[in-house]
Amino acid sequence: MTHHDTETRAAPLLSARGVSKTFGSTKALVDASIDLRPGEVCGLLGANGAGKSTLSRIISGHIAPTGGELTLGGKPFAITSTRDAFNSGIALVAQETSLAPDMNVLENIFLPDLARPGRLSFGKLRARATEILLSLGHDHALPLHAEVRTLSAAQRQLVEIAKALALDARLVIFDEPTASLSPTEVDSLFDIMAKLRDDGRALAFVSHRLEEVFAITDRVTILREGTTVAEDVATADLTQNDIIRHMVGKDIGAIYDVRRDGYAMTDAPVFEVKHLKAEPWVRDISFSVRGGEILGLGGLVGAGRSEAAEAIFGLRARQGGEIFVNGTQVHPRRPAEAVRHGLGFVAEDRRAQNIVPDLSVRENLLLAQMGRHKGFGRGFSAVREKMETLIGQLGLPADRLDQSLLNYSGGMQQKIIIARWLLIEPRILILDEPTKGVDIGTRSSIYKLLQEVADAGVAVVVISSDFEELLGICERIVVVSDGFTIADLPKDKLSEEKLTLLAAPRTSTERNTAVLRDLSDAHKGQAFWTLIDGDELICLAAVTHPDGPKTGLEPGQAVRAEDTAIPAALAARNDTFTPDADGIATALIQLKDRRGHDLGWIGLTVQADALPDIDAIKTRVARLTRPEQES
Amino acid sequence: MATTDTKRPSVLNTILHSLEFRMLGLALVLAIALSLLSPYFLTQRNLFNVMDQSVVIGIVAVGMTFVILTGGIDLSVGAIFGLCGVVLALALKEYPIVLAIPIAVGAGALIGLFSGVLIAIFGLAPFVVTLGVMAIGRSLSFILSGQRSLSGLPPDLQNIVYSSFLGIPANVLFLIALYAAAWLYLTYTKGGRTIYAVGSNAEAARAAGLSTTFYSILPYVVSGALSAVAVTFSLAQIMSADPLAGNQLELDAIAAVVIGGASLYGGRGSIIGTLLGVLIMVMIRNGLNLMGVSPFWQGSAIGSIIILALLAERLINWRSTR
Repeated sequence: MTHHDTETRAAPLLSARGVSKTFGSTKALVDASIDLRPGEVCGLLGANGAGKSTLSRIISGHIAPTGGELTLGGKPFAITSTRDAFNSGIALVAQETSLAPDMNVLENIFLPDLARPGRLSFGKLRARATEILLSLGHDHALPLHAEVRTLSAAQRQLVEIAKALALDARLVIFDEPTASLSPTEVDSLFDIMAKLRDDGRALAFVSHRLEEVFAITDRVTILREGTTVAEDVATADLTQNDIIRHMVGKDIGAIYDVRRDGYAMTDAPVFEVKHLKAEPWVRDISFSVRGGEILGLGGLVGAGRSEAAEAIFGLRARQGGEIFVNGTQVHPRRPAEAVRHGLGFVAEDRRAQNIVPDLSVRENLLLAQMGRHKGFGRGFSAVREKMETLIGQLGLPADRLDQSLLNYSGGMQQKIIIARWLLIEPRILILDEPTKGVDIGTRSSIYKLLQEVADAGVAVVVISSDFEELLGICERIVVVSDGFTIADLPKDKLSEEKLTLLAAPRTSTERNTAVLRDLSDAHKGQAFWTLIDGDELICLAAVTHPDGPKTGLEPGQAVRAEDTAIPAALAARNDTFTPDADGIATALIQLKDRRGHDLGWIGLTVQADALPDIDAIKTRVARLTRPEQES
Repeated sequence: MATTDTKRPSVLNTILHSLEFRMLGLALVLAIALSLLSPYFLTQRNLFNVMDQSVVIGIVAVGMTFVILTGGIDLSVGAIFGLCGVVLALALKEYPIVLAIPIAVGAGALIGLFSGVLIAIFGLAPFVVTLGVMAIGRSLSFILSGQRSLSGLPPDLQNIVYSSFLGIPANVLFLIALYAAAWLYLTYTKGGRTIYAVGSNAEAARAAGLSTTFYSILPYVVSGALSAVAVTFSLAQIMSADPLAGNQLELDAIAAVVIGGASLYGGRGSIIGTLLGVLIMVMIRNGLNLMGVSPFWQGSAIGSIIILALLAERLINWRSTR
């Protein structure tokens, strides 16, 4: 990456100066500026709610700015529609994809062409589509006739990128493209991005995952609360701390007010979910929470966490599983029944699932109380005192309770929705992405609020795809992937990297598991995939032959090296067989991706009297990190 | 991001900017214009006439308001009106008045329940369900009546219209009481607020533990029952049940609710707005009659006023959101 040389830099293809955007009374952007140059990947960074997505939607023509200037190739550039953006060669690869799910890949790639006058030749389009996918190196990965709804998240993204190339876009904006991708899929996305950059296109990469920013961007522009605070800085000149300081404006530690050690937790779980099943998203999810505990439910977007919460709360039909409150089994079929059992649920989509826009703030606040109230009236007077205390606690302006909730900021709306449940004193409170679209100041006050709620003895479950957030506020994290519970681990055994690996979609780990199965079958041993951190192990997957030796590793569990049957091998950690007690021997082979990231270790434990050929195993394992040679 | 700069508006300001206030203004302007155009308009006798003419459409419009607040629509009110009129006339031949009226109102409520269940539980579109019920209802009223008007009703039936209290006729008193009760219900009870919440965001209302299914059905039951109540007052005046009665009543009721500021998407509207909408519609009709305008022009007049009222509302909202 030799793109930091200022002398050879091209003039900006697109330049945005002092852009502002107001939604109602909410200022999403105040003073945002960014330059995008051909042959560069520019990172657009910022915390949740900093205005990254708003800015990328403005420069891609999806929404009009309230103020500021845009120039394209040096000329003033007024976009009034996405069509203008298409015609100027700007494409947005969005986080939540803009594809038509019922149409096939080919039709989606050429969707903008459908609006052009004249007849379409599908034969020609097919040839062009194949050419485009070939240039991306993925011609075999994407059947053109497949309906988009049947594709994986990574494949859909590929369709989006192909769509951008079909328009011959000079500028491609990637808006949080990695949110639902596994590490391997992220890698191949970055290969494509590098290819596009080397073709001389201008790329913008919107993300809040710092590791990825360092991996792919040449320059970064950082937004904080709608304002550009660092512009066009060479990535190489920055450290992670620099970026965080710009993004947050203060030390990150202040956001997550780490819980004190002496918090009280009940011994028995207050809430237990066993083998929950709600097809197609939730296949086997189990977890339990104690009173006073904050449990994180982590995973990628689309892993089935939200759907699990909805199934628990009676918003979605369950096909199986058991739910226990204080040890008693309950069967909530409707939210009203779940509320009666002491549950509260703050759903993910605030506007669609939580806010009743035509009711006032007061009535929104009292909505759950009204639902619980048995009489004919609204039941407001019963909680008046509690409401007044709560309003004071949250810093809600008491004289604005009769206004529309939509006039408030996202953070305040979220606080009001949380307060809606606190008013009826739930025993279990489930929050789905509680800080989505919430500014940083309010985020920390929401975290504090959740800690106070837990301190009062409530069992709190926080669902989030922001691993940093989970690590910041939860005591324990249950990882969900493709509808299955993968792991249940205390916070201190986890890091963002480990969570990312654990949360990877099953489809991408299937190949690894298949290799483990082959190894285990062929050598009558236990094959496992594990992360090693000092003397701590987190087992990602394990396949045990019925006659083979046992190592003591269980998928999804953390274990100390000395508690396994193979401490010597784990200490030696080399790719020859190291013997341990009971006549078993273990080889460990490290997995690294092409960028050198640690993907854990593949291990094979066999009887020491029949050692297999290590080189064949090494070759087999090495192929795992080079997927294209696999097929 | 997310800076809010909303100031607390004064009470007066809130009232002045409310939809009901603008509608009241429109009603007053209309009344003044009509009194200038026709000296007869402002006489006490004519004002009672306006009130009297408001009773039937006013009662039906209450039920329609409930339905529209949930985001639904009830096209069957006119047919239920006709059918329940026939049912009432037939019941009066067998039973005393105090039993016959509840039978008719019960029949209306049952028909509403049928629509409501299909809409709320089976998720069918309100427009289509009530369109079907409209056709069935009209057909049944022809069959039950033998395709003719039923007369020979007991003379005592007239008492529910022609008795009066403090000089106000009973039917007008009933209308006023009904609007007061409906306003209290929609504003201060769990059920009323749930009806608003269902129309505004049913998913959020359900997730908050409200009984959204029950309160999605109830408005259709209320609407059906009130159509039957309305036909009771109508029968007491005309003393005969016509199977074709209430033809296109649904359009008048929907128009009154919409002029009163309710959103057809649900969640927005008020019972006071509906009352004003009813009065505006009846006054226009009355005024046009007084001025001797051909009844064939009345449809154009009312249609234009509906469209103008909606357009004005949209323009005002546009300005305030920019």
